[in-house]
Amino acid sequence: MELGLNNNQKTFFNLDPRTKIFLLVILSFMVFNDAPLYISGILVLIPFICLFCSNHKKTAIIYILVYVLAKYIQICLLPTATGLVSFILIAFSYTSSRMLPIILMGYYTLVSTKVSEFIASMERSGVPKDITIPVSVVFRYIPSVYEEIKSITNAMKMRGFGLNFKSLRNPLKMVEFYMIPILISAVKTSDDLSAASLTRGFSSPKKRTHLVDAKFNIFDYLVIIVSLFGFGIYAFYFLRSVLSI
Amino acid sequence: MNERLNVKDLITVGIFSVILIVLIFIFGMLGYIPILMLTLPILAALICGIPYMLFLTRVNKFGMVTLMGLILGIVMFLSGHTWVPILVFTLCAFVADCILKMGNYSSLKNSIISHGVFILGIMGNMLPFFILRDYYMSSMKASMGAGYVNTIAPFLTNETLIVLCILTVICGMISAYIGKIVLKKHFEKAGIA
Repeated sequence: MELGLNNNQKTFFNLDPRTKIFLLVILSFMVFNDAPLYISGILVLIPFICLFCSNHKKTAIIYILVYVLAKYIQICLLPTATGLVSFILIAFSYTSSRMLPIILMGYYTLVSTKVSEFIASMERSGVPKDITIPVSVVFRYIPSVYEEIKSITNAMKMRGFGLNFKSLRNPLKMVEFYMIPILISAVKTSDDLSAASLTRGFSSPKKRTHLVDAKFNIFDYLVIIVSLFGFGIYAFYFLRSVLSI
Repeated sequence: MNERLNVKDLITVGIFSVILIVLIFIFGMLGYIPILMLTLPILAALICGIPYMLFLTRVNKFGMVTLMGLILGIVMFLSGHTWVPILVFTLCAFVADCILKMGNYSSLKNSIISHGVFILGIMGNMLPFFILRDYYMSSMKASMGAGYVNTIAPFLTNETLIVLCILTVICGMISAYIGKIVLKKHFEKAGIA
């Protein structure tokens, strides 16, 4: 392997992209309704474990602290709060306790999946190219849009048109000033990407080969079993509450 | 004309889906103010016209718009909406695609109408609120507080749904027209439209 492939710092904990998508789907069920901590505990811990075992220890710890804080507010502080304070507390605690697991799981998927890895494992399981390529472009391009929005904001500040009350007076201009640069760079990026994909042989009708081998290892099976178990508890609790209504 | 989508088309679909997703999510943040949640489809329809019209300048085959609807639906599902958006978005995008096909992908009138239909897919995010109204009321009372529910409850009726749909389509058409003007003002000068 002298092709510079070893610079992706192989950790022992390396999940298959299919496992990550499976986890995302399972966690997305959690958003619909709120369960007590002893029910949803396993599902909450899954993103934590994934992040903790793969060079994102700081994010993992911040995540679990924010989650515990949100749960604490929800259980202990809410019954006594009133008025505007309670509205803010409700918005914070319920949003974070519902959305944080899936947001962090999405973050983990975005950060830890390489595009080549994703395409390799998708092609292996027979997903057509028409879906694989747009989805991988979506995964790849969301962080760069974020970067672009930041640099556009900086450029506008330099011209004295930052995000303040004065500029919010004419929102149409704001929309125009943000939208046009983003769109122009998007068109440029799509041209660049299609040139790059041509050199990688995406458009050839033959079957491509991959340097990355997409296989399930023991961690994949372990995580899937644990998450299915957690989801089973969750679904059982939810179904029981629906039937009793 | 080659009917099969090539890689360049697929990448274009991906890039423009990202832009629509980012726009929809930025305006989705406004949903925390109770009454604005209902105007969300209208806002999104008003804002998505410009990227959509720019996208259409690169579309000349059947299937690209449908694929974009499918991708948007999948991302909506993964980001915590129900599975309803996948169906609704794909269906709306398919109809929009058919309308475009009738205009042979070059008629301005058909482009404007197709944006109105395409953007109706955003209603998929809202549809669960209307169909499972009582269930959502009880679960929202737990999550967002009684104040939020009491503010929003009188508006969650079937009449509102119809009015919202019509308004969304009309706003989508207006914004597509604005998009056409912006296209002329900025992009044709830069030579990319």
